[in-house]
Amino acid sequence: MSTYNTLTAEIIEQLQAAAPGNVITGEDINPDYSKDEMPIYGTHAPDCVVVPRSTEEVAAVMKICNENKIPVTPRGAGTGLAGGAVPLYGGVLIDTTKMNQILEYDLENFVVRIQPGVLLNDLAEDCSSKGLLYPPDPGEKFACVGGNVATNAGGMRAVKYGATRDYVRAMTVVLPTGEITHLGATVSKTSSGYSLLNLMIGSEGTLGIITELTLKIIPAPKKVASLIIPFEDLDTCISTVPKFKMAHMDPQALEFMEREIVLSSERYIGRSVFPQVIDGITAGAYLLVTLDANNEDELDALIEQAAELVMEAGAIDVLVADTPNKMKDAWAARSSFLEAIMEETKLLDECDVVVPVNKIASYLAYVNKTGEECGLTIKSFGHAGDGNLHIYQCSNDLTEDEFKARVDKFFELIYAEATALGGLVSGEHGIGSGKIKYLVESVGETNMRLMEGIKHVFDPNMILNPGKVCYRL
Amino acid sequence: MSEAYQNIWVFVETECGKAKNVGFELLNPARELADKKGCKLVAVVIGKDVEHVAKDAICYGADSAILVEGDEYEYYSTDAFATALFELIQKHKPETVIIGATNNGRDMGPRVSCRLKTGLTADCTALDIDEETGCIAWTRPTFGGNLMATIECPECRPQMGTVRPAVFKKAPYQADKTGEIIREDIHVAADAIRTKLVERVKEVAEAVNLEEADIIVSGGRGVGSAEGFATIRELADLLGATVGCSRAVVDAGWMPHAHQVGQSGKTVAPKVYIACGISGAIQHVAGMSGSDTIIAINKDEEAPIFEVADYGIVGNLFDVIPAFIEAYKKIKA
Amino acid sequence: MNILVCVKQVPDTNEIKIDPETHTLVRAGVPSIVNPFDTYALEAGVQIKEAVGGKVVVVSMGPEQAADALKTCLSVGADAAYLVSGREFGGSDTLATSFILSHVVKAVEEKEGAPFDLILCGKQAVDGDTAQVGPELAEHLGLPQITYAMDLTVEDGAIQVKRECDEGYDLMTTSLPAVVTVVKLPTEPRYPTIRSKMAAKKKPIPVLTAEDLKIDVARCGLKGSPTKVKSTYTPSREKNGMKIAGLPADEAAAQLATLLTDAKIL
Repeated sequence: MSTYNTLTAEIIEQLQAAAPGNVITGEDINPDYSKDEMPIYGTHAPDCVVVPRSTEEVAAVMKICNENKIPVTPRGAGTGLAGGAVPLYGGVLIDTTKMNQILEYDLENFVVRIQPGVLLNDLAEDCSSKGLLYPPDPGEKFACVGGNVATNAGGMRAVKYGATRDYVRAMTVVLPTGEITHLGATVSKTSSGYSLLNLMIGSEGTLGIITELTLKIIPAPKKVASLIIPFEDLDTCISTVPKFKMAHMDPQALEFMEREIVLSSERYIGRSVFPQVIDGITAGAYLLVTLDANNEDELDALIEQAAELVMEAGAIDVLVADTPNKMKDAWAARSSFLEAIMEETKLLDECDVVVPVNKIASYLAYVNKTGEECGLTIKSFGHAGDGNLHIYQCSNDLTEDEFKARVDKFFELIYAEATALGGLVSGEHGIGSGKIKYLVESVGETNMRLMEGIKHVFDPNMILNPGKVCYRL
Repeated sequence: MSEAYQNIWVFVETECGKAKNVGFELLNPARELADKKGCKLVAVVIGKDVEHVAKDAICYGADSAILVEGDEYEYYSTDAFATALFELIQKHKPETVIIGATNNGRDMGPRVSCRLKTGLTADCTALDIDEETGCIAWTRPTFGGNLMATIECPECRPQMGTVRPAVFKKAPYQADKTGEIIREDIHVAADAIRTKLVERVKEVAEAVNLEEADIIVSGGRGVGSAEGFATIRELADLLGATVGCSRAVVDAGWMPHAHQVGQSGKTVAPKVYIACGISGAIQHVAGMSGSDTIIAINKDEEAPIFEVADYGIVGNLFDVIPAFIEAYKKIKA
Repeated sequence: MNILVCVKQVPDTNEIKIDPETHTLVRAGVPSIVNPFDTYALEAGVQIKEAVGGKVVVVSMGPEQAADALKTCLSVGADAAYLVSGREFGGSDTLATSFILSHVVKAVEEKEGAPFDLILCGKQAVDGDTAQVGPELAEHLGLPQITYAMDLTVEDGAIQVKRECDEGYDLMTTSLPAVVTVVKLPTEPRYPTIRSKMAAKKKPIPVLTAEDLKIDVARCGLKGSPTKVKSTYTPSREKNGMKIAGLPADEAAAQLATLLTDAKIL
């Protein structure tokens, strides 16, 4: 059990000297800093917010906090879904959103150097304007890329291109002690000791604060189109997924969604995109697939092949979104799922469990049955192509305590089932403070001991983002 | 050819005996054009019981007015209005005809210009006279406002154009100004009016259409309460604007989600976005940075909203907005 | 019910860039799309066909590549498509364009063997934004018109239209044949299905030339256009970012109100 010191006027003065003009205290602290997008994991206000502009400022602040044993929580845009950026123990919150410059493209090595506060959306648009693609594509486009790296965010395109981890070449990190270090290099292979770079990725701000990133980019595929594929039921829909791989098709994105959530989302965005009744058959589930190719003919051939495959597998029809506007509309519905659920739900919790692709259908059946037994409304959708499921527990009539109790029971059961099937607790959102106990059950005490040991090496005073991932206080 | 054609006309649109503002607005720049050319400025008024409109047009700057009255002109119809204007032009041969670019103006204008086999420039935002050719230089935005084009009609007369409402200001009303009102008796038989207005349906502004709003007045955490939005609404009503808000406001339950602008709300690109008490979190700015003009009112001088704003006032919105409403009313009066 | 829909291929104006030196459009890399208002016009036509039976024909005037736009239309419910193309037509203003289209209507009626009951256009093309071709086409053909339609139904040989107006809509009717220009619809334009897309790919798109139209070429193209583009320029979009601070609220507000009204922003 660590004990922390409280911020004194004197320490605040030191912080103000370390980051002149970038320190916020008292009533000026925006209440948004107390929570992320999943407030069910609790809200805690920081005592002081620093909005640094440089690595050196972060280092200076970190040094002061380390010397005084003040807890520090790093935060980007605050779009996390596991409580990772909530300052559970108060202290200093470091907001990286002002370090938001895209610094340099190196088109000979196909990398881009950025500050961590760059929004994913801004990076994507900037790359796109140069004919480039930064493949990681998490649903939340207004998250900071630094946060994406900290959680190893995945997203829609992970099925073809991999998750954020696969695109981080190098980074500058401020350690909890205030030291500045550089990890990784602009090379595509490495066999040079423990990969500290990979330890940092997905460490959710518990090992160090990322202040600069070198990311791999690729030339953007020339032609893309999306297919909206309605199925009569979820089983047929999900069982189609492995067939894409077996047919050597490599979709850029492969998402499944149930009818209910599509309807919510279309109500929310106010327009209807997905067909509901086709030739008299009501669609119960959909696949949304994006294919890419280097020219029109190649793309057409791919679309045809995919259409044949899914029709044989029992799809009712195949709709083609082959213009930028139509693609935008199709994905707008998909991108609004979380907001649509939030709009219609008073109490909400979420998990992003990942299971082997061939187990999705049977796992979802288990999830829905368990939801019913626990007395919870369950809405789910997810990245069918990589087995990463987003399962929402919703209630509009339970008390918060009762809801939490039922969700707790529900989580215990479905995480146990996921572990039994060879899955893991989180595919892309991270552990934060909300999922620690399920992580323990999933990976076991030995692995937890290793993680905690690593934490101690990086952060001897245990001041950085306390209460997250593996650090049980 | 152009010898026979003279004078500048402004078509003053009326409906149910009332003039639309744009006609009076256009008399102002047209007056300048007429003075430059040394010709007469004539208002054309077609409607039912609209003699007072013809008089007003003279008080707003026309030298004279041509008046066509009849029951068939109470509500707009393509056939009746196009026929009347066409006949007037044939008889009086104006050199230039300027029409307000309302839905009706843009419905009638092309019918008439096509019947006359002359040119019509759509939805202009600036008017001038080409020193060299003496033609009207019609300037208009194209490609979604990315490019401005100046267009002339050198060989055909009259030269015609529709001009966007609210671009020009009305000249001061000169109550004692007089001018000739020429009555023309033109009637269009009922069966020659091929479209019928069955019903005019006023839609309750229930749906919040932020995406298509020209002006949005948005409130943020600085508004402080649901009741505080009365001030925002008052400004919005004055400007004919739609009310938006930031996420904090929705989270606090002060406004329904349909009004939310930003990351988890709507993306908007109005002509004018007025952010009141909005700090300008990246998520909010992402949803409104496409606005043509951004105006910020915030008491925090350091608020990031000022970085994206074209105009800003540092101050308490509950002091600034009422003062602004008063000042704005005074100017527009 | 024979329905003709006029469509235009336009650059996606959301993606448009203007060369700051030449003040002309940078076309490279800008995707071409079917004018969005025309996609609503087509959807309206297809819905009417589905309700009362008949055929939907699309036409487009433009260069060879405009055939892509017509293919897209064929994949979302159009039954036949014609491309109007030729050097004589280049540089047409709205009067010349509508004159050409009026001949196209006659030529296509002859080819299809039946007159059109309804001609639909999008309210305006998003590149030129004139909203004039529809009404001028109606004038050339001597047909009644309803513009700014937001909902259309056909019953007993007449069409009923909700016409957009300031505070709601005007419910209007007219007899057929007629020209209607469409703003939007209560429903979004449909997506092509894989079958319709493949079928569209195989459909031939006949090209109509000046010769086919038996048209007076003196009334086409630049020659036949009374309006001439004299000059173009890029509007300045600089953020002056002016901030009024340290003034009493009423003075600051008055200053802002004056600035905004003088600049014609409000």
